[in-house]
Amino acid sequence: MNRIETNVIIIGGGATGAGIARDLSMRGLLCVLIEKNDIASGTTGRNHGLLHSGARYAVKDHESARECIRENKILKKIASHCIEDTGGLFVTLPEDDPAYHRNLIEGCKYAGIEAKEISIRKALEMEPNLNPDILSALVVPDGTIDPFRLSSANILDAKERGSTILTHTKVTGVIKSGARITGVECIDLKGRKTEVYADLVINAAGIWGQEVSALAGIEIKMFPSKGSMLIIDYRINNVVVNRCRPPADGDIIVPGDTVSLIGTTSKEISYDRINELTVDDEEISILLSDAEMLIPNVRHTRALRAYCGVRPLLAVSGEAQGRNISRGIALLDHHERDGLEGMITIAGGKLMTYRLMAEKTADLACEKLGIKKECTTHLVPLPGSEKKIARKSRIKDFTGIPDSVVGSTLYRHGQRLHSILTKNKKNYRVICECEMVTEGEIEYAIKKLEVKDLVDLRRRTRIGMGPCQGELCAYRGAGLFQEFGGSTPEESVILLQDFLEERWKGMKPVLWGDGLREAEFTYWIYQGLFGMAHMDEVKHKKKKILNKDILPADAKTDNKKKKGK
Amino acid sequence: MIYDCLIIGGGLAGLTCGIRCASNGLHTAIISGGMNSLHFSSGSIDIAGYNTKGEIIKKPFDYLKTMIKENSAHPYAKTGIPGVRESLNFITGKFMEEGINLNHNNDMNHFHVTTLGTLKPTFLSQESVFNTDVADIANSHNKIAILNFKGFRDYYPEQTAANLKKNSMFKDKEIILGDISLPYYLNTEKNLHEFRSIDLARIFETERYLPRIAEEIKKASGGASIVSLPAFIGIRNYKTIRSKLQEMTGKFIYEIPSLPPSILGLRLDNALKNSFINLGGEYIAGERVVSGSIKNNQVEFVTTRNSGNIPVQSKFYVLTTGSFFSGGLAAGFDNISEPLFGLKVKGENKRSKWYNSNFFDRKSHPFLGFGVETDSKFNPVSGSGKTIKNLFCAGSVLSGYNPVSEGSGGGVAVSTAFKCAERIIKEIKND
Repeated sequence: MNRIETNVIIIGGGATGAGIARDLSMRGLLCVLIEKNDIASGTTGRNHGLLHSGARYAVKDHESARECIRENKILKKIASHCIEDTGGLFVTLPEDDPAYHRNLIEGCKYAGIEAKEISIRKALEMEPNLNPDILSALVVPDGTIDPFRLSSANILDAKERGSTILTHTKVTGVIKSGARITGVECIDLKGRKTEVYADLVINAAGIWGQEVSALAGIEIKMFPSKGSMLIIDYRINNVVVNRCRPPADGDIIVPGDTVSLIGTTSKEISYDRINELTVDDEEISILLSDAEMLIPNVRHTRALRAYCGVRPLLAVSGEAQGRNISRGIALLDHHERDGLEGMITIAGGKLMTYRLMAEKTADLACEKLGIKKECTTHLVPLPGSEKKIARKSRIKDFTGIPDSVVGSTLYRHGQRLHSILTKNKKNYRVICECEMVTEGEIEYAIKKLEVKDLVDLRRRTRIGMGPCQGELCAYRGAGLFQEFGGSTPEESVILLQDFLEERWKGMKPVLWGDGLREAEFTYWIYQGLFGMAHMDEVKHKKKKILNKDILPADAKTDNKKKKGK
Repeated sequence: MIYDCLIIGGGLAGLTCGIRCASNGLHTAIISGGMNSLHFSSGSIDIAGYNTKGEIIKKPFDYLKTMIKENSAHPYAKTGIPGVRESLNFITGKFMEEGINLNHNNDMNHFHVTTLGTLKPTFLSQESVFNTDVADIANSHNKIAILNFKGFRDYYPEQTAANLKKNSMFKDKEIILGDISLPYYLNTEKNLHEFRSIDLARIFETERYLPRIAEEIKKASGGASIVSLPAFIGIRNYKTIRSKLQEMTGKFIYEIPSLPPSILGLRLDNALKNSFINLGGEYIAGERVVSGSIKNNQVEFVTTRNSGNIPVQSKFYVLTTGSFFSGGLAAGFDNISEPLFGLKVKGENKRSKWYNSNFFDRKSHPFLGFGVETDSKFNPVSGSGKTIKNLFCAGSVLSGYNPVSEGSGGGVAVSTAFKCAERIIKEIKND
């Protein structure tokens, strides 16, 4: 068994956990961040990537609205390479209550959100695909944010400041000394166990925080609410398009990278289902028909994928509806709350406020550890966002490399472009043509960005996220994965299969039209030509190790019973 | 002008049908969009590779009886087993005339090595994938070399080797991995590291490079007497190239089909097109049929993208448009259709029943079995429920079989197309 000693343990590698690791590292503390899957693989990576202006909350939840606009302005400064400052529209449809438009203007004014009414003609100029029957339009400072890039940049910064990141590592128990937690036990993919000792444990596991706290004998009740989204294969809008009505299903279309996203449904689910969620056909129909009201040509555009996430809402009292529960931040000191020293839990909140949540958590952590250092995460840019690269220097440094390659790398990694691209032709050859991912970017991600499998690689680079969903590049990615030492050749084939299965999950719910054609082609290649389904059944060993502990307590006993019979 | 036979779709089925009709003197045309599934195939022809449990079939012709018994709607039930054999003999003969020998393993399936190092059963293969020597050589030599073109991004021999090693046939063999390169080519304006198989095939077709390539192969392959390369050793004159390379290196050169475009498949496509054209067939490439008119249960005419309002007419029509990918079938939000003639299709309307939960489920996916319904003569049924007598369907536009899970795509394409051609020939003769 390995043993690590550190200052602070952070459980959970979502935006919040990553933000805490960065914040504490900047205050001079060493952290070990433990994530059971990959960075941003849970709720963080499963939203629509909206950089909220706060307008969505301005009518009903002034506190959230104010937090959003404050963080919106900070993130535009510190995370510029993760953000597109697209701007956003709130449009009223003939079906909507026109009074909401007025309420929204007032709410925005009250929260300090700049909201400007524009003519319908102007709105249609901004967004030609918009429903021409809209009754009114409001411009707000919405934007888009890439949650994968954002989390990865926070992790990278924490790591460069001395922290340790353990992904695909599951916490299996806490180590106690009296009424104090002194560390945790964890297990990695290969079954290797590690004990990590620290002065403080921070539970930032989001919806899974309920299980983490249970390990310490503490009860936290989460309130899982599932949200489903649909990705359209073209960027059909320039700015974020919101429907001007109280929050409901299918009321937003967010442009992001090369695609547009339709959000979101909200459905209460039971806690034991959070690890096995799928988008159902009914949700697809709802999202499509609602989005069609905002942008009529949605249905004639190819649907690329559908996915869903779980909102990490903390159940406060007996409220019933997912949207009504406070999305505010809950910071729990278990010493005060439960008499258990050495552990705090951060829950609730949203991607937009991840930095603020991290700040509040780090403040409490520092207070408990007697560290007197102020938060600086709102001032210091994330790695990659340091400064804008002037076009001229781009041309000088990268002469001969196709501009599309330079542009995509810059778009995804900001200033870190200089650690990625070289003038070596092998380095800048394109591996994923849809998203212009080069071999150099893949090598950088494998070596620097905590990539353990091809799905992780996709989150860091966008490989396989384009229209073809990894038809050719998945194979190439697997080949390079073993070439750069990420795995053995044999493992790389299993990773390839896992990757394609993961792509399939999002393709299944939208398997019609061109989506089905593409899937058929992919199937011909990987099954017809490569015989993938006829590989020896050695796979999924690693998943079993992790899933065993994710099962809710009831399910575990059930399994034992079944075995007994 | 009215054709005797107009074939819509220029893949393996369309070309087989066209060659059979043209070789009998019929005035035949093929309208093809361009590429077809041969371009991303293994370049081998399968008849039946797996049973319903996913187990490998050794003797495909024996297994056809079981297939037909288990599934009376299977296209093989309509061609009959002798029909399958006759069609394969016919097409093998045509390939031979074009300089391609397709070999089989004494009427049994043989294996071809995939890029992932799995072994897939197939029936007919080109010499570089199977001939009577390959098994002997493989058995008697303990070293094999798996080589790649240095920097080729569409092939990773380490993966082939790793999985091949797990197979009992290769367990005790020493596998040598290596690269071959052509340094003077590195200065090309194009990024060599982005070359596809077809670019490399063109390099190999340049005969003056061969001595250099042979040297590289010898250097990289150690003492191995079988050397595998991703399939790119030439397209049109590959036979000469391969035999020269074998002569220069003293080694057996084996080819592994890599990512598309498939050079092995391209060779077959070129050979069939040549054969069709040499027989007087009219091959119309880059064209697409956009609509078909049915009157009195007969196809009256079709229109094409380039013909505008001028109808294209034929006595008989053959639909070989393939499945979803090639546009022979279309999947709507909750329905499956045949877009040209609105033919009756067999499929599910509930979308969730089109697929299985795992992509690599051994049962494959139901949508691969969807297609046009026909009678025993391969005449389809129109939307109004009437059989269309002058229209035939062949290949993967048909329902009743799953080409991938059965490993039957090539066999069904060839045999159904051949059968359709035979019917048309007979009917025209009787006229």
